[in-house]
Amino acid sequence: MMSGNNSGDDRSEPDATRRGLLRAAAGATAVGAASAAGCLAVTTPADIAAENEVSGNVDRLVGPGWLADNRADVVVLDARDADGFRRERIYGARRVPLDAVSAQVPGEGGLVPDTDAIAGAFGDLGVSPDDDVVVYGASVGSRVTRVAFALAALGHAGDVRVLNGGFGGWNGRVGTGSRDRVSPVDYDPDTDASAWVTREWLAERVGSFNGDGPGLVDTRVPEAYLGAAGSDALDPDHDRHGHLPGAVNVDWTGNVSGRRMTDPGDLVRLYEVEAELDRDSTVVVYGDGNVDPTSTWLTLTALGFEDVRVYDGGFGEWTNVEDDRGRHPVETATNVVIETDGSVGGGGGGGDFSCTG
Amino acid sequence: MSDGPSRDLTRSPTRGSSGDSSRGRVVAVPCEGEDVLALFALATGEPLGDVPVGSHPVHATTRRGRTFVATMGDRAVTAVDPNGEVTRIETGVLGPSHFAAANGELFVSCSAGDALAVIDPESLALVDRIAVGAEPHEVAVAPGGRRLYAGSRRDGVVDVVDPVAHERIGSIGIGDGARVQGVAVSPDGSRGYAVDQSSARIVAFETDTAADPDTAPAPAPAPDPDPILGAAAVGADPYDLVVTADRVFVPGRGDGVVHEFDRDLGLVAVHEGFARPVDLFRIGDDWWVLDAAAGRLRSLAGAVVETPAPGLVATPVREPTRSDRLVVSHYDDDRISLVDVDDGAVWTAETPAYPFGSVVV
Repeated sequence: MMSGNNSGDDRSEPDATRRGLLRAAAGATAVGAASAAGCLAVTTPADIAAENEVSGNVDRLVGPGWLADNRADVVVLDARDADGFRRERIYGARRVPLDAVSAQVPGEGGLVPDTDAIAGAFGDLGVSPDDDVVVYGASVGSRVTRVAFALAALGHAGDVRVLNGGFGGWNGRVGTGSRDRVSPVDYDPDTDASAWVTREWLAERVGSFNGDGPGLVDTRVPEAYLGAAGSDALDPDHDRHGHLPGAVNVDWTGNVSGRRMTDPGDLVRLYEVEAELDRDSTVVVYGDGNVDPTSTWLTLTALGFEDVRVYDGGFGEWTNVEDDRGRHPVETATNVVIETDGSVGGGGGGGDFSCTG
Repeated sequence: MSDGPSRDLTRSPTRGSSGDSSRGRVVAVPCEGEDVLALFALATGEPLGDVPVGSHPVHATTRRGRTFVATMGDRAVTAVDPNGEVTRIETGVLGPSHFAAANGELFVSCSAGDALAVIDPESLALVDRIAVGAEPHEVAVAPGGRRLYAGSRRDGVVDVVDPVAHERIGSIGIGDGARVQGVAVSPDGSRGYAVDQSSARIVAFETDTAADPDTAPAPAPAPDPDPILGAAAVGADPYDLVVTADRVFVPGRGDGVVHEFDRDLGLVAVHEGFARPVDLFRIGDDWWVLDAAAGRLRSLAGAVVETPAPGLVATPVREPTRSDRLVVSHYDDDRISLVDVDDGAVWTAETPAYPFGSVVV
C-alpha cells in the first residue's frame, strides 16, 4: 500500500524525543547565559516552536503557537504509530489508525475510499463532522496528510488543519501512556466524491493529462516513475512498471523539509514553474498506494490550488488491471521528472520514512 | 501543405534523368530536428515546402492518399491530406514510431509506452489501443495481414496480435534481458525473426499464421518459449534485418559486418568491411548495403556507388521502366538524395534538420 520512498535524509535526528528536548531546555538557562556571552548556542523548544510557525499565504497548516492559542477549541488527532503515541503526545490527542483512514472498497470505476469505514473510525474517536481538527505526526509526512484527506473525503464540515513541524515542534502540555477515554459518536459523512478520482475516470482521459485535460502528478520516486530496471523502487507485485501517460513526476518527499513543510516559495516554483501545473484547473495526484500522494494533495491545496484530487486506487490498481490494458497504458519514457530535495524527518516509522507522520 | 519552401532548400546539379514515371511524385521526409514533413519533387529534387507535423517526426506511411507521420515526441500521429490539410490523431500514449497496416487499419507502436494504437485511416480517428510489451518498436505484418508481430524493447518479447480482434493473443519470449529491435516474417508466413540488440543475436520463431483461424486455439498471453526455432550470434549492435524466402540478413552496426543466414539460421556468410551497416536493399541481382558512417552504398558482391554523405535510412523507389533507386536520408548532414546504383546520386537536396524515414507519395 505504501511506497518505499525513503529519502532518509533526516537532519532532525529521528530519535529525538520530547524528553530530549526538555533536557535541552533544562540546561537552556545556564547555557543561554553562556550563549549570550558568545561561547555556546543551544536550540530550545521555544526556538523549535518558532521555526515551525507558518507564515505567508498558506492554507491548512498551523504552527505550534496557533495550536497553543486554540487548543481548547479543536480536536487534536495524532497520526503516528501506537508506540510513539503511548510514549508521548500532545495532551488530549486521539490517535488515528492509518489502516482505518486508508481503507478502500471497489466502486463502479475502481477502488475508492471506504467512507463508511473511515467515518466509523472517526466516530469511534469521538470526532463529529463539525469539529475543528488539527492533525499532527512526527512531521508533516504522509500519515498526517492521509488523515486530513480522509476527513476531506467525508466532507468534514469543520476546519481541518495540520501542525507544521509535527510533535517535535510542540512545546505545550504533553500526555503519555494509554489513550484517554472518549465517547464515540455517530459520524454521518457528507461524502465529497470530488476529492478523489477512479481508474475509470482516468482511463477516459488518457492522452489529455498535463495537456488539454487535468494535471496529473506521479508522487513516487523517479526510479518507480520511470520503471528503472533493477531498481529497488519497483514493486514486485506490479505487472508493469512506469507511469500513467503524461504524468509529471514530483517526488512527494519534496513537500517536506525535515519535519516541516518545504518553504512555500520553493513549492510554488516546484509545482507551478517547473511542473507547470495550473492552479485553476483540476490536478490529480497518485502514488503506489493512497497514503503518500495525499502529501501532495495537501501541499497543493495549501498553496491555493482549486481542485486537487487523489487517485485512491493508485498505480498498483492501474498497472495490474485485469481487463483491457490497452485502455490503461503505462509509459516508461518521458522528460518531465522534476528534481526535488525534500527530506522527511521525524522518525517513528521503523526506519521507513515513507509514512512517518 | 504549405505554399512554398519555408527555408532556402537548394539542390545540387541533376546528374541524371528521372524518367517520366517519376513526374508528379513527391518525396515526403519527416525531419526530426524541425518537426516538419519536407516535400521534394521525386523527378528533380526540387523542394516543394514543409508541413508542420508535430514533435520529432521519424517515420511515415501512406494510406488512401494520405501521408501519416509518426511523431515520437507526441501522443499523436499526424495525417496530411493531398490538399495539405493536417489532422492530428491522438494515440494517448507517447512515442509513436512505426506503422503497420492490416485489416484496413493502421497500427502504430507507441514506443514510450506499452500499446499499439489502432487508427482508422479514413475517419482519422483512434479506434482502439492494444496492450503489448513495454516500448514496442518495429511491427511485422504476416502475409495476408492475419497477424502482427510487435517487438518489445523492454520486456524481451514479441507479441502476437490479432489485427481484426484488436487483441494480443500470444507473446513469444526472446530471452531474458532481450531488447527486440527489428522484427520480420518470412514471405510464406511460416516463421518470424527477431533481432535482440542487447545480446547481438537473431532469434527465429514459429508463427501460427499457417493455422486455420477458426480452429486454432488462441495461445495464452504469457511468454512461451516453445515457438523458438533457434538463435544465432550476429555482429555487434544489430538493429534491423531483412528476410527473404531463403535468406536472413542482419547488419551489425558496431563492427561493420552483415551476417547472412539461411532460413534456419545456418550461417551462409559474414560480409565484412562496412563502417556502420544499417540496412540492405535488393536492386537488380545484388544486395546493396546502406552505411551510416560511410558515404557510399556497397553491394555484397563488392560493387560501390558513392553517395553525398552517409545514409541512415533509405526508401526504395519502384519504377516499372528501370531498376529500383533509393531515396537516402543523410540524417547527420541534413540532406536527402536520390541514388541510382548505376549512375550514383541523381540529385541531392538540403533538408530541415535530421531527415528520417521518407515515403514516396
